[in-house]
Amino acid sequence: MAAHCRGTELDLSWVSRVQVNHAAVLRRAEQIQARRSVKKEWQAAWLLKAVTFIDLTTLSGDDTFSNVQRLCYKAKYPIRADLLKALNMHDEGITTAAVCVYPARVCDAVKALKAAGCRIPVASVATGFPAGQTHLKTRLEEVRLAVEDGATEIDVVINRTLVLTGQWEALYDEITQFRKACGEAHLKTILATGELGSLTNIYKASLVAMMAGSDFIKTSTGKETVNATFPVAIVMLRAIRDFFWKTGNKVGFKPAGGIRTAKESLVWLSLVKEELGDEWLTPDLFRIGASSLLSDIERQIYHHVTGRYAAYHDLPMS
Amino acid sequence: MAATRIQPSTREIFTTLEYGPVPESHACALAWLDTHNRLLGHYVNGMWLKPEHRNPAPCQDPITGENLASCLQAEAEDISAAVEAARITFKTWSQLPGTARGQHLTRLAKVIQKHQRLLWTLESLVTGRAVREVRDGDIPLAQQLLHYHALQAHAQDSALADWEPLGVIGLILPTSFSFLDMMWRVCPALAMGCTVVALVPPSFPTPLLLAQLAGELGSFPGILNVVCGPVSLGPVLASQPGVQKVAFCGAVEEGRALRQTLAGRGATLGLALGTESLLLLTDSADVDSAVEGVVDAVWSDRSLGGLRLLIQESVWDEAMKRLQARMAQIRSGKGLDGAVDMGARGAAARDLAQSFVDEAQSQGGQVFQAGDMPSNSPFFSPTLVSGLPPAAPCAQAEVPWPVVMASPFRTVKEALALANGTPRGGSASVWSERLGQALELGYGLQVGTVWINAHGLRDPAVPTGGCKESGSSWHGGPDGLYEYLQLLGTPYRESFLCESLNYDTFGLAVSSSLPSGPETGPSPAPPYGLFVRGRFQSPGTQSSRPIKDSSGKVSSYVAEGGAKDIRGAVEAAHQAAPGWGAQSPRARASLLWALAAALERRKQVLAAQLERHGAAPTVAETEVELSVRRLQTWATRVQDQGQTLQVTGLRGPVLRLREPLGVLAVVCPDEWPMLAFVSLLAPALAHGNAVVLVPSGSCPLLALEACQDIAALFPAGLVNVVTGDRDHLTRCLALHQDVQAMWYFGSAQGSQFVEWASAGNLKPVWVNRDFPRAWDVEVQGSEQELSLHAARTKALWLPMGD
Repeated sequence: MAAHCRGTELDLSWVSRVQVNHAAVLRRAEQIQARRSVKKEWQAAWLLKAVTFIDLTTLSGDDTFSNVQRLCYKAKYPIRADLLKALNMHDEGITTAAVCVYPARVCDAVKALKAAGCRIPVASVATGFPAGQTHLKTRLEEVRLAVEDGATEIDVVINRTLVLTGQWEALYDEITQFRKACGEAHLKTILATGELGSLTNIYKASLVAMMAGSDFIKTSTGKETVNATFPVAIVMLRAIRDFFWKTGNKVGFKPAGGIRTAKESLVWLSLVKEELGDEWLTPDLFRIGASSLLSDIERQIYHHVTGRYAAYHDLPMS
Repeated sequence: MAATRIQPSTREIFTTLEYGPVPESHACALAWLDTHNRLLGHYVNGMWLKPEHRNPAPCQDPITGENLASCLQAEAEDISAAVEAARITFKTWSQLPGTARGQHLTRLAKVIQKHQRLLWTLESLVTGRAVREVRDGDIPLAQQLLHYHALQAHAQDSALADWEPLGVIGLILPTSFSFLDMMWRVCPALAMGCTVVALVPPSFPTPLLLAQLAGELGSFPGILNVVCGPVSLGPVLASQPGVQKVAFCGAVEEGRALRQTLAGRGATLGLALGTESLLLLTDSADVDSAVEGVVDAVWSDRSLGGLRLLIQESVWDEAMKRLQARMAQIRSGKGLDGAVDMGARGAAARDLAQSFVDEAQSQGGQVFQAGDMPSNSPFFSPTLVSGLPPAAPCAQAEVPWPVVMASPFRTVKEALALANGTPRGGSASVWSERLGQALELGYGLQVGTVWINAHGLRDPAVPTGGCKESGSSWHGGPDGLYEYLQLLGTPYRESFLCESLNYDTFGLAVSSSLPSGPETGPSPAPPYGLFVRGRFQSPGTQSSRPIKDSSGKVSSYVAEGGAKDIRGAVEAAHQAAPGWGAQSPRARASLLWALAAALERRKQVLAAQLERHGAAPTVAETEVELSVRRLQTWATRVQDQGQTLQVTGLRGPVLRLREPLGVLAVVCPDEWPMLAFVSLLAPALAHGNAVVLVPSGSCPLLALEACQDIAALFPAGLVNVVTGDRDHLTRCLALHQDVQAMWYFGSAQGSQFVEWASAGNLKPVWVNRDFPRAWDVEVQGSEQELSLHAARTKALWLPMGD
């Protein structure tokens, strides 16, 4: 991954100038889904690209070593080798961008990936995931421990209370501390957009998270009732673009939660392409947090290559 | 760009992540053309008409220039045949109960649904517009239009019982139009019981397909007839006996020419002109979303024209940066590609845009285009022009597709002045997150449609139209229905054309009147002078004309008003108009009520005056009583103006506002000198207009009597009464560019002149063509008719959400 985003001073006047029109953003979100589509070879290539953006995730109470190991091997071999061969893509080294687990499973993931012989980064959620309603002290400790265990990317959740009550300085301070606790690891800041109340709050929280030095801003934990939606994404992408224009810092974007179909993943790619441009279409700056998406993509690739729809047992499980 | 090249491999695309072609098959469109052997005629009375010895015009693919088919160009006799078919069908169609017509329209909607692929591929193929917009925008809207108007037809028998369908409607469409423009007009016309003959340009066969689909429903094949031919055949269509109304949409100058040609030909004319739109971006706006608004307005193939963009200076840099970044993402290409934003509109549109851009550059404007387009390309890049103040000649011209002309403004007041400082008045959007500011702009803009924080939304239930040179006809909503209705008992429209009428000299000179005997009028004598600026003034001509009573004796002299007096009166009215328009309805109502009371007190004097001019005592008394009652009626009606519409798919209301026209010129009829004067004055005032009025020629004294009370009650300049030679005053008013509307009740020749002269600023005119109106009979709905003429509609879209 690229160098860390440096962050800036907290610029409250910028935050307070933010204007987001809800209805207009909803219209744009509707349009973006209908205005770009890719077919045939383009679709296959785009889907393979989408695979390289995936943070393959398992965040369940019943995670153990064995299913984390399965996940890690799937991350290393996301698409059946013969399918890749048919597309002449077998030597591109296509893997997912990372695997994402709970802090207690980081060791397992690091071990499994080492055994598989690959350098896919391990991402860990932290800071009282998913609600963030624990003491700051324990949240910081959680980050440090995950890094110690070998996680190189930390997905922290923000304290929604601070957003909803407008305490931007406090939010900035907290994220800055997470940043410090991460050390060399990359910081992805989860805004939990489904619980922020309005698109304007989402824009403001995005700005504050970027100013505090997040490498990525991420839509949601996957545990809220509303997760990654296109209107939310549009607002966050616009904030990223504005931040880049004003400070020169490129911050990454990670939608997560509820992205299940290959078709949706294509819309996400075109959304980033349209709003931020091609330079953002790299795993350094764009991730998709998903668990079941990969198998749908593999099914579509199967269909593209063979012309047939795959049976459940045709593709290896993750 | 959609160019032919070797297909890249998956591996290449994996690196570049470029978009690929998403071709939409147009095989069915070609197959349809093949069934006609690629030769299209006209569709009349449910049958294809392919007369011999007609010039075929090519229908071309706007990108490749390939000939897709030929269309036969109509001649006069083809148009007569179509009008005849429509006229015969009208007899049965208009007599059907509304419900039956509604059912027929619903069936048509279903047929469109069944053949939508054919419709959208054909439309996109021949117009070059992006198929996405046709498929996802136009076709569903066409169906909604049919469904909405089917319901209106059903409700017509009860809700519009005092109205009847006009008759045969002639519809003239320009070369740059979408079939939706036709649907907007055909649907209400058919729903209300009219039948339609559409004259469409030969290169666009979609209307023919639509007519075929309608014709193949079986019953009533003659309700929709489509004839291909150039716009120059418009006057032929308009002067066919039976054509009661001509609806035209197209360029402003074409509309102006048509207005002049059709003066006196009987059919009323509904104009919808120009395609330019306006977008106002304030510093409190969500700039990113506003930029999407610009894309919706001009770079998404939804609208047909260019955009004037006003940006508050403090956010100018931010907005321009975002616009330019966004422009780089617009994809031009073959219309029949599912992932293309902008198609090609053919050589004419491209050349028009190019010459506008060249001119802008030569006048010092900065031109930004994303990406280079080879000069022989059929496409034209999205273009952003800036740096041209209003005084640059280019800045006054209509902005063509796909050009955006951006200019800065400093304050909201200045924005309004700049926005209203063009002769166009179509549609505009306001981008501001401050409710008060947005409403201030929304109410202040002189346009037909205002969207707040959105652009280009459409719905069948919302009236769409314009003001000023954008024409004053409406489609959609209740206003769209009245375009095709008339009050029961309205005389049949026939040509009242006087070929010998010389427009250059009509009413030009005023015969001087000499003293012709002593005044025998009442004592005290009625006030002398022109009632302008709230007081009686002597006329510029410093001469008078005698008014005779019923026995032929000179009753008194009235001032001889002239051009300068009209000028003064219009100026005075303009000064008074904004204040009066801003008054609360209740304040207006109470003044009308007070005027009614004042006239009642003056009752005996007024009745005596009427008797002196030949009215029987009882009739005179009734006329005064009726006048008083009219004023009272309008005082009570002041309140119910405008309404809130609820629209499918939009969260938030759409306000249908009824706004004052501005300065209204009224030429009163000779008959009913008191009652007609009051009946015309009251609705004009009730709707917030300022008035310049020419009273009855034979008996102007009653109006002058009333002016004494008006002077005491109303703000100075709100009502101006100018006496004198009616033809001369009519001429001055009709040619005045700053009179917003004119009502003329007088001779056929005068009516013809007023229609002709209104082409100047395209003011809406209402003329009586020498037909007397029964002013004493309170026909149900006549108030509605006056009300329709006395104000203009504005649709204000207010989407909500947080």
